[in-house]
Amino acid sequence: MKVTFNNVSKNFGIISALKDINFNVNKGEFIFIVGPSGAGKSTLLKLILGQIKPSSGSVTIDDIDLGQAKKNQIDKIRRKIGVIFQDYQLIADKSVEENISLALDIVNYPIQERQSRIDEVIKKVNLSSRRFLFPSQLSGGEMQRAALARALAIKPGLILADEPTGNLDIENSWNLIKLLKDINEQYNTSVIMTTHNLDIIDSLDKKVIKLRNGEMETKR
Amino acid sequence: MNTTKSTWHHIRRSPFQSLTAILIMIITFFLLTTFLVISDGMSSVLKYFETKPEVTIYLKDGLDKNTMDNLQKELSNYPDVKEIKFISKEKALAIYKEQNKSNPMLTEMVTASILPASFEVSVSDPAVLEQIAQNFSAKGTVVDEIIYQKDMITSILKWTSIIRKSGIITVSVTAVISFLIISVIIGMKITNRKEEINISRLLGASKHYVKKSFLLEGIFYGFFGGLVGTAISYALFYKFSQQINTFFQPIIFIRDNYSLYGLIFLGEIILGIIIGYTASWFGSKRYIKF
Repeated sequence: MKVTFNNVSKNFGIISALKDINFNVNKGEFIFIVGPSGAGKSTLLKLILGQIKPSSGSVTIDDIDLGQAKKNQIDKIRRKIGVIFQDYQLIADKSVEENISLALDIVNYPIQERQSRIDEVIKKVNLSSRRFLFPSQLSGGEMQRAALARALAIKPGLILADEPTGNLDIENSWNLIKLLKDINEQYNTSVIMTTHNLDIIDSLDKKVIKLRNGEMETKR
Repeated sequence: MNTTKSTWHHIRRSPFQSLTAILIMIITFFLLTTFLVISDGMSSVLKYFETKPEVTIYLKDGLDKNTMDNLQKELSNYPDVKEIKFISKEKALAIYKEQNKSNPMLTEMVTASILPASFEVSVSDPAVLEQIAQNFSAKGTVVDEIIYQKDMITSILKWTSIIRKSGIITVSVTAVISFLIISVIIGMKITNRKEEINISRLLGASKHYVKKSFLLEGIFYGFFGGLVGTAISYALFYKFSQQINTFFQPIIFIRDNYSLYGLIFLGEIILGIIIGYTASWFGSKRYIKF
């Protein structure tokens, strides 16, 4: 999926969360968004998800302007995006498997293929022994991996990962990054990832967008 | 996760709210069925009296044969008289025993002497009944009592109307209460599951997708309430039908009209589904705004 930010600004009352942001994410591209807390990283992801609309400028995904899009168009776009939220956003009274199943049901994944897809992604994130547990029975790292499995299950065109390594130990962080890189390379899936981890950024030769106080500082 | 599974999950997660919704629906449909069956019975009572224009003249005890013959002759002189039946004390006893054969307690103590002899006069023109009734009520020395069906029909009509009106009011009020309760319960469930709905929306679920399990839940309450409420009412009528029919003899108050009862059953289930669906639609429309 292709994402374009064109002179995007977002204000919350008198607070300016994003100012005049311009960048492109081409199909199959992997980019990092970095910046301190309050820099506007989450606001940027919310704009991509269509949760909020820009105060000015335009956010387009595959040539659909989210500011002008109808609700059902935004729903359709969201069904193509795999999101890994910072706070996991797993449904508390559903098991890991049921959380993944819900995502597959939403995207109307073929029923006869669902179980094998669930098995596949659970294995990929190494959660086979935890598949029937509820989020409250999982550690932070396991919840993060469950959220990743849910995002991957739908075979997304774009993965949005909001601080996905924030709650993981070093080994699991690298495993997750490797997984995202593999998916990016194998399936030509675009990835937008926010992170504070400079080691990860340095280890991959990818485009980096630096945000500070809602403004784009640099683009590598 | 299919919708049915999700709906069942919602029901199990808040059993008391679900139970409340089902109970109110059961009460509504129990009352509706009960009033419909009673109303049908009252129609049978009315029809019985309307299709039998009759006046019954109960005679005083100790009248000689000559007097009774004169009375019968006088009755036969009226125009449009179809039939005059003389019911002797003995025959009255036989009829009484036949009507109460299932209850020996009622027949044991009764003898022919305590039952009055009577003339049952049926006519083809109900207007004649009024003349006969007026003229014979003046014969206080020979006539003990006149049962004139015009009064009875007026009275039955009045009672039928009261029962129907109170039925309509009661059922309407309970139906509105059911509607509001289901609507509020669905609203509460939506509020309880707001986080799940928000997550589903972020994953791309349409509004209809998140609503449909709640709509199905309302349909379930309506269907189940209609089914159980009607079934309980039928079961009670079935159990007491003999006693009720004995009370109304010779009129069959609870008829063996299975096609009618089947239609009522089907109609009420459909009505239940409509109430449940519209109530949950109303509730979900109010609460799912994100």
